[in-house]
Amino acid sequence: MFYRETGQFKSSYAADMAIFPIRQDRIALWVVLAAAFVAVPLLDFFQVWPFGGEYILRAILIPFLILSLAAIGLNILTGYCGQLSLGSGAFMAIGAYSTYKFCTGVHIPLELFTISIPPLPVLPSILLGALMSAFVGILFGIPSLRIKGLYLAVATLAAQFFFDWVFIRVKWFTNYTSSGSVAAPDLVFFGFTVTTPIHRYLLCLVFVSIFALLAKNLVRGNIGRQWMATRDMDIAAELMGIRPLYAKLSAFALSSFVMGVAGALWAFVYLGAWEPLAFNIDRSFQILFMVIIGGLGSILGSFLGAAFILVLPILLDQVPHALGVPVSVETVSLLVFVVTGALICWLLIVEPRGFARLWSTGKEKLRLWPYPY
Amino acid sequence: MIAFGQFLEVLVSGLLAGVLYSLVALGFVLIFKASGVFNFAQGAMVLLAGLALVRSLDFMVAKGLPFWAAIIIALLFAALIMAITAWLVERFVLGPLINQDGLTLFMSTIGVTFMIEGGAQMLFGSDVYPLRLFPSDAWFLFESSFPGGILVSKIDVWGGMIAAVLVVGLALFFQKTKTGRALRAVADDHAAAQSVGISLNWIWFIVWLVAGLVALVAATVWGTKLGVQFSITFLALKALPVLIIGGFTSVPGAIVGGLIIGAGEKIAEAYLGPFIGGGIEYWFAYVLALVVLMARPQGLFGERIIERI
Amino acid sequence: MRAPDGPPVTAGDVLLSIDNVSLSFGGVKAVSGVSFDIRKGEIRAIIGPNGAGKTSMLNIINGFYHPQEGVITYKGEARAKMRPHDAADGGIARTFQNVALFRGMTALDNIMAGRTLKMRRNMFWQMLRVGPALAEEVEHRHRVEEIIDFLKIQEIRRTPVSRLPYGLQKRVELGRALAMEPELLLLDEPMAGMNIEEKEDMSRFILDVNDHYGTTIALIEHDMGVVMDLSDRVVVLDHGIKIADGTPNEVKSNQAVIDAYLGVAH
Repeated sequence: MFYRETGQFKSSYAADMAIFPIRQDRIALWVVLAAAFVAVPLLDFFQVWPFGGEYILRAILIPFLILSLAAIGLNILTGYCGQLSLGSGAFMAIGAYSTYKFCTGVHIPLELFTISIPPLPVLPSILLGALMSAFVGILFGIPSLRIKGLYLAVATLAAQFFFDWVFIRVKWFTNYTSSGSVAAPDLVFFGFTVTTPIHRYLLCLVFVSIFALLAKNLVRGNIGRQWMATRDMDIAAELMGIRPLYAKLSAFALSSFVMGVAGALWAFVYLGAWEPLAFNIDRSFQILFMVIIGGLGSILGSFLGAAFILVLPILLDQVPHALGVPVSVETVSLLVFVVTGALICWLLIVEPRGFARLWSTGKEKLRLWPYPY
Repeated sequence: MIAFGQFLEVLVSGLLAGVLYSLVALGFVLIFKASGVFNFAQGAMVLLAGLALVRSLDFMVAKGLPFWAAIIIALLFAALIMAITAWLVERFVLGPLINQDGLTLFMSTIGVTFMIEGGAQMLFGSDVYPLRLFPSDAWFLFESSFPGGILVSKIDVWGGMIAAVLVVGLALFFQKTKTGRALRAVADDHAAAQSVGISLNWIWFIVWLVAGLVALVAATVWGTKLGVQFSITFLALKALPVLIIGGFTSVPGAIVGGLIIGAGEKIAEAYLGPFIGGGIEYWFAYVLALVVLMARPQGLFGERIIERI
Repeated sequence: MRAPDGPPVTAGDVLLSIDNVSLSFGGVKAVSGVSFDIRKGEIRAIIGPNGAGKTSMLNIINGFYHPQEGVITYKGEARAKMRPHDAADGGIARTFQNVALFRGMTALDNIMAGRTLKMRRNMFWQMLRVGPALAEEVEHRHRVEEIIDFLKIQEIRRTPVSRLPYGLQKRVELGRALAMEPELLLLDEPMAGMNIEEKEDMSRFILDVNDHYGTTIALIEHDMGVVMDLSDRVVVLDHGIKIADGTPNEVKSNQAVIDAYLGVAH
C-alpha cells in the first residue's frame, strides 16, 4: 500500500538508472546508513546495548561488516562472473599477510640488488596488500580461461591449500615469530589511533560502504554486464565481442582485491593477532555459504548472507537456553553445520538466488498489495 | 643401492596410499557417471560410514558379543545407515533438483556434506575412534637386496587388495546385473532411459547406495590406518585432484589417478620437501592437478570436448 | 562507424567470400569444399536438410570453428585463424538456433551487453560512475531504447529473459545482435518454432533491418516460403557440399535441390 512507485516519473535515463529508482527504497537506504553511522555510535556513547558492554560491536557488528565485504568480493567472482571459487580464505590471507609485511617493512636481499621498503602507514599497506591479493588472484584466474566449472573449483582449492602451507612454513611472512602467530601493529589512520570497539566498527563501516558502492557501480555498468554475460552463456558472450580474458581476469582481480581488503581488516581490526588457521578452508566455505544463502549475483545478498551466517550460531546457542534446554557448545557447533547445510539445499531448491531474491519478490508483492496483480 | 631402495620404498608406500584416494574417487565416479552430479559429499560419507561402523562395533563388543559377530552386525548396521542416507539425499535434495545445472547440483552436495558431517558427529560422537579390522604392522621385503629391506605396511596392502576386489565387483555389477545395465543406460541418456521405463529416482537411490557402500569400504581401510575422525574428510578432498587427473567418468581413471597422486606426493615430499620446507603433501596433489589441467583441460583420460552452439 | 580492416565496401560488392572451405571433427566431415560469397546489402539465405552443415558454416564465418582448408575473405582481407571476438570487432553479429540469451539478465541488460564493444570508459570510471562514465551509459541507453522501440518490446525491458515466451526471446536476441551495429548479421533459424503471426513479425523486422540500416544478412531457415520471400540469393548445402547457388527462383527449380529435399530413388 505504501510501497509503490505510482506518481514517480523519470524524466531522464540517468534517473531511471539510479541504484534505487524507487523513492521508498532510497529512504530505506538513508535510514540504514543513518542507523549505522549515527545511531550505533550514539547507542555506544550512552552505553545502551541490548546485551550490555561491547558484545554486539565486537562479536556481531564488526565481523558482520568485514565478512560482508569478503562476501561482496566472492560474489563478484562467483555470483556475477560465474567462476566458482573455494579459495576465498587464501586471498584473504594474502591480503592480511601482505598488509602485515608492508606495515612492518619489506626487506628482500637478492643477488644483484636488495628490495627494501620501509614500514608504511596502515592505509597504504592495506591497499598494497590488497593489490598483492589481486595479483595472485589473476595468476590463479588464468586457468579459468581454459577450464570451467568444477575443474576450476579444484584449481582454487589448490590456491587455498598452497597458501595455507606458505603462511605456515615460510617464516618470512610472519617475521620469524616462534609461534607462527602474528600481532597487528597499531591502527594509525592520518595520525589517529583506532583502539576502541566503536572506532574499529566505524573504520570497517567506512571501508565496507565505499567498497559496496564501488562494487554496485561496477556490476550495473559495462563490466558487470560482461561478467554476467560470461556467466550465463560464455560462448555467446565471446561471439559478441566480450573478451573472456578481460572479463574473467578482471573479475578475479577485483574479487581478490576486495577479499584482500577484507582479510586485512579481519586480521588487523577484528582479530588483532592471528595465525594461518584464521584463513583456512573453513573460512572459504563460510564465505561461499554467505554468498549462496544471501544471493548469487546480489550486493545486498552479500550483507544478508553474512548477517545470517553470523547470527545462526548465536541463535542456536541462545534459543535453547532461553527455552531451558541445555545444549553443549559442541552440539551447537554441529547443529550449525546441519542447519547451514539444510538451508543451502533448501534455498537451492526453492530459490537459487537466495535471500536477496526472496526480498525482491516480497517487494514486488508489496507494490501490488492489496491486489494480486 | 641405498638410494634406490629408499626410492622403491617411497614409491610403494605412495602407490598404496594412492589406492586409498582411489577408493574415495571411485564413489565420486559412480555418482557422476550415473547422474551427472559431482558429489562433494563423498568424503563426508566416508566419515559417516566409518563412525557408524566403529561406534556400533565398540558398543557390541562392550556388550560381550564375539568379535566376528560384532563385525558382521556392525557392517550391516553401517550399510543400513548408508542406505538411509542415500534415500534421504535422493528424496529431499536431488529429487527436487532434477534438471538443474551441474554447478547448482554441486553446491547442493556441499550442503549435503555439511549436513552429513554435522549429523554424523551428533549421532555417533566427534572423537577419534580407533578401528582394528586389519593388521597394521609392516613387512620388510627384499632384505637381501637392500640393507634394511623395503618397509611395506600391511594395511596398505590390504587396502590395495580390497580396492582390486571392489573394482572387479563393480565391473561385474555394471556388466552382469539388470540394475547395473540400467545404471549405464541412465548415464548415457536420462530421457531415453526414462522412456524405456527405468525410474530415475530408483536409479539415483541405487547409485547413492552403491557409492555409500564404497564409502564404507574406504572407511574400513582408512579407519584402521588413521582412526575414524573428522580429518578423514580433508584427506577425502584429495580425491578431487585424483578425478581431475583420471577423468570424472572413468573407473580405471580413478584408480590410475589415485596411484599417480599417491606416488607423486610421496616422492615430492621425499625429494623436493627438504629443499622447500616439509609438508608439501598438503598441497602437492592440487597443484599437480592444476598443472595437468593447464596442459590438458579435459584431464589425462578425458575425451576432447567439441563445443556446440 | 569504424571500419577496422580494409577499404570501405560499397553496396553490391562482395563483403565476404568463402573459398573451398572444409571442416571436419575427427573423421566426420561437416563441410567439404564449399565456396560462395555474400554481397554487401543483400539478404543471403543458407538452406539445406538437417545435418547439411549450415550452422557449422555460420560458426566458421564468425570464427568459432576453424576450417582445416580454405580461405575466408572478409572486406577484402583473407582471414587467418582468429578468435570469435575478432569477428565481433570486425562487425559480424549473430543470433543462435537455440536462443543463447544471458538468462540471468533482463531484456534491457541483454541488449546493453551488445554495446560492449562500443563502450570505451575503463573500469576505474565505471567504478565511480560519474561524469564521462555516466554520460556514456546514458548515451548507449538511448541507442538501446531506439532498438527496443524498433522491436516493440518496451513493456518487457525490465523482465528477466528467462521468464519471456520463446517468440519474445528471439526478438530480444535479435535486438542484442542489432545493438552491435553489425555490418554482417548472421541469423540461425530466426523463425524456428514460431507461429504464423510471429513469423510475419520477424520477417518484417528482418526486412526493416536490411532496409533501414543497410545491414547485410545471412540467414538459415527451414520455412521455404519465408526464404523465398526474404532472400535475394540462396545457397543450398547438403551433407556439407554445396549443391546449388542462385536466386530463389533458380534454386527452386534446381533438380539437385529437389532431390536433396524429397529424396531420390537410387
